[in-house]
Amino acid sequence: MVVQTNLSHRIIVLFFLLPLLSALADSASDSDLINELVSLRSSSPDSGVIHLYDDDVSKFLTSVPTPRPYSLIIFFDSVDLHSNSQLRLQKLRREFGLVSSTFISNNNGSNNGTKLFFCEIESTHSEASFHLFDVETLPHISFVSPTTENLTESDQMDGGDFAGLAESMTEFVERLTKLTVGPIQRPPLLTKTQIGIIVALIIISAPVLVKKILKGETLLHDRRIWLTGAVLVYFFSVSGTMFNIIREMPLYVKDYEDESKFVFFMEGSEMQLGVEGYTVGFLYTVVGLLLAFVTHMLVRVKNLNEQRMTMLLSLVISFWAVRQVVYLDNWKTEYEIYPYWPSSWRR
Amino acid sequence: MGGKSEPAKSESMATTTTSPDLINSSFFSFKSLKLKTKQQELLLRISILGLVYILAFIARLFSVLRYESMIHEFDPYFNYRTTLFLTEKGFYEFWNWFDSESWYPLGRIIGGTLYPGLMVTAALIYWALRFLRFFVHIREVCVLTAPFFASNTTLVAYFFGKEIWDTGAGLVAAVLIAICPGYISRSVAGSYDNEAVAIFALLLTFYLFVKAVNTGSLAWALASAFGYFYMVSAWGGYVFIINLVPLYVLVLLITGRYSMRLYIAYNCMYILGMLLAMQIRFVGFQHVQSGEHMGAMGVFLLMQVFYFLDWVKYQLNDTKLFQTFLRITVTSAIMVGGIALGLGTASGYISPWTGRFYSLLDPTYAKDHIPIIASVSEHQPTAWSSFMFDYHILLFLFPAGLYFCFKRLSDATIFIVMYGLTSLYFAGVMVRLILVATPAVCLISAIAVSATVKNLTSLLRTKQKVSQTGSTKGAGSSKASSKVTLDQSQPFQKNGAIALLVGVFYLLSRYAIHCTWVTSEAYSSPSIVLAARGAHGNRILFDDYREAYYWLRQNTPTDAKIMSWWDYGYQITAMGNRTVIVDNNTWNNTHIATVGRAMSSNEDEAYEIMRSLDVNYVLVVFGGVTGYSSDDINKFLWMVRIGGGVYPVIKEPEYLVNGEFRVDKGASPKMLNCLMYKLCYYRFGELTTEYGKPPGYDRARGVEIGNKDIKLEHLEEAYTTSNWIVRIYRVKPPTNRL
Repeated sequence: MVVQTNLSHRIIVLFFLLPLLSALADSASDSDLINELVSLRSSSPDSGVIHLYDDDVSKFLTSVPTPRPYSLIIFFDSVDLHSNSQLRLQKLRREFGLVSSTFISNNNGSNNGTKLFFCEIESTHSEASFHLFDVETLPHISFVSPTTENLTESDQMDGGDFAGLAESMTEFVERLTKLTVGPIQRPPLLTKTQIGIIVALIIISAPVLVKKILKGETLLHDRRIWLTGAVLVYFFSVSGTMFNIIREMPLYVKDYEDESKFVFFMEGSEMQLGVEGYTVGFLYTVVGLLLAFVTHMLVRVKNLNEQRMTMLLSLVISFWAVRQVVYLDNWKTEYEIYPYWPSSWRR
Repeated sequence: MGGKSEPAKSESMATTTTSPDLINSSFFSFKSLKLKTKQQELLLRISILGLVYILAFIARLFSVLRYESMIHEFDPYFNYRTTLFLTEKGFYEFWNWFDSESWYPLGRIIGGTLYPGLMVTAALIYWALRFLRFFVHIREVCVLTAPFFASNTTLVAYFFGKEIWDTGAGLVAAVLIAICPGYISRSVAGSYDNEAVAIFALLLTFYLFVKAVNTGSLAWALASAFGYFYMVSAWGGYVFIINLVPLYVLVLLITGRYSMRLYIAYNCMYILGMLLAMQIRFVGFQHVQSGEHMGAMGVFLLMQVFYFLDWVKYQLNDTKLFQTFLRITVTSAIMVGGIALGLGTASGYISPWTGRFYSLLDPTYAKDHIPIIASVSEHQPTAWSSFMFDYHILLFLFPAGLYFCFKRLSDATIFIVMYGLTSLYFAGVMVRLILVATPAVCLISAIAVSATVKNLTSLLRTKQKVSQTGSTKGAGSSKASSKVTLDQSQPFQKNGAIALLVGVFYLLSRYAIHCTWVTSEAYSSPSIVLAARGAHGNRILFDDYREAYYWLRQNTPTDAKIMSWWDYGYQITAMGNRTVIVDNNTWNNTHIATVGRAMSSNEDEAYEIMRSLDVNYVLVVFGGVTGYSSDDINKFLWMVRIGGGVYPVIKEPEYLVNGEFRVDKGASPKMLNCLMYKLCYYRFGELTTEYGKPPGYDRARGVEIGNKDIKLEHLEEAYTTSNWIVRIYRVKPPTNRL
């Protein structure tokens, strides 16, 4: 009887111990994984975002039984698509890094700091992972919770969460993890020492400046500076710089069909590329300044031959520039703009 | 046209060159002859101005000839409606008008939310004409107000050019601005909008102010204050004046050009102008309360500091003492000003900058924060081809003109340079502001043309004179060498100058041709009647808008409420005489967002919203049959964006497929079931629009639509115009409860 009860006791004890042991073993491997992630995080060059490769994905996600002791939030990146300005991949990646560094600094040392890790996967090295997550379009940010088994079902950040950048990404993270990221700490444009130096410089130079202004011998009193500034304002206005800034147009794009070719000029009157605007703005400015030069400077040149040659040269340049502008405008707008010479001369 | 300006100037030259010779002859004949040439010159100048005046008017009549005498576009319909009200009911009724026909159920206080300058001007012209026994319809007055004021602008441009350079530049400026496409775009007959009178008022204010600065006369300063008052009463763009003028004064102060003239001009203009502007209810106390106007006040205070310092300097003889005094005063003045501004802003007394103003300074602001501003097509940034289209040769002349201005710097040329550069920057930010830059560009280019032509003609003239004196009197000892070289170079230089003159006039004639062509082709369409070219090159007119509005007027109950996107609000109230939910005065973003939400929800949800707004009819604009591209489907994403800005349940990505807006089979399910899609494409699947294409082929977007079998539950089709451009649906009353 005694033996029997002992045995049954042992069995019962064993029965209770087994899961406990296995849990112990698990927790050991769990803490290993967390430690590894933490070390990866601290060794990562920027803002604590861990760069994952295909084998890391299997090590930290697919081969770990659920529930995992941590959740991962993964940014899918592709170097090839960085040049596509509409996707704003690099900007989003920076904001993502900002969320990560904020999270780390706010949760450093606390228990929560090891519950969430920020990672990125880059397409050229880790195509398999892209398939695993079923990523077809970028930008794509996935949240893998401890209970997610099938990676294709991981929570995906949608367009609305990208819109407000780091702040709305934070909301997304806090909504899913119930962890606090805290207010985003953007790096200031100037560091404190820089601001201090600038303020000091201003204070030191203030009396000198005031004195100079009162005496009237600053750059402000040099009309050549003002003229240069005025021409620059003109140049940037007519070349559509504002258009480029507001629409975030690139200077040039690559040809869709042939990657090695560059497209500098775009057809359609409601679009323009950076280089295109500057080229035309430059042509405008050259012609205008040549006119001023011919009527004001050239007449003072003593040598008659020089005068004639310069005159002819500037006429030729102006003619060529105007011709280029009209040609480009006709091509771009598909309007036949009335050119400056008879229509039979048209090319 | 450019050529016409020349004789006047050469005549004036002739007066100066021939008169010394004539002094020797009898005094009597000299006097009569001199009077005669002077009279001739005056006559020429006046007749040129008269011709330019008429030219500016008739160049803007293309739209009346092509279509008919009608009001264009969207906003002018509201202005027309209010003018009609003003002439019928009188000024006090107009001033206190509460309009219950728009923004249902909120209504709108018209008197307090508009710039009355345009309406009052048109009403005054109308009453004056009636007094003179010309019985014209108020619509004709409204249609022709813009060309009339454009003509007046040419006169102001003449005087302005005369003030900053000389008579020749004035005449050239008048000619250039009369036909400049950048100005014509907003002032053709029928575009009865605030800008029509505002550009005149803007240029007039600037001219009077520059005149006041040049003369230091109180009378001119007073006149410029009244000019400013007229501008404030006419257009919100007055903010440009109240910022540019102080900036100009500040630049003069910095560059050491402070003078008593400047002090008188600015103080009188600012104080009086501010007091007068406060009489406009829509502007109210903004001059002392809003951040946009604080710069002017700061410069006003700075002027007082300058004046005070001047006085102290006069009193104190010791320069060293004065230097210390100066340092203390300037620092304390700046500190006091800064503290006052900080306190005002912190206490909320001074309001921060408005979105529109901010979006000018930081161009990317509007795109990120204010979709309702970014959605309007005339608020888009300008590409280089638009500048080319609107300015033509003026673009090339502008840098040359700048150079000339800098060569002969004066208070007046500094002003025109600053005006030109700031407005050109703003023109780059928003397409519609090309309009504000146009007068400056015309003036500066006119300086370039005038100065070049003057140099060339004087070259011709002095050569003649030298050769004459050389042949008759023989070479003097001291000037002999120079004259000889001049004589040697004469044939070439003369021919060169003639060739260049011909070139200049040739370019100007090309400019005239370009302007006329642009006006007739691009800027004269009323956009309420659409024109297209048929297969055989014939003109086809689509008059669907007016057809729909008249249908509303005739066939719906007078208290019917119409829901449409805000673009059509003014037209529906003005032509259909029915109440609308939202209109082009976008003062209540939430209300617009509610309509946007209704349009982008499915029919059941939209029905709830429409019931809550008491909507009886829904009006949509659809271009799938005619290929008219600015219809509601193409505007739909903005409805989603604006709706989503207030109601987060509307999410833009749900209407897109991979970031792409589609209406065909690949469109997102949310898109295929939203109210706008259903109303536009209802029964469209049965219609063949183009030979060789399947039924339901959308010609505006060039695709076959994705949902051809549309069933409506809570709405029914009430009317579709002949070309399907406007479709009106009736909202059914709720079914009986069971």
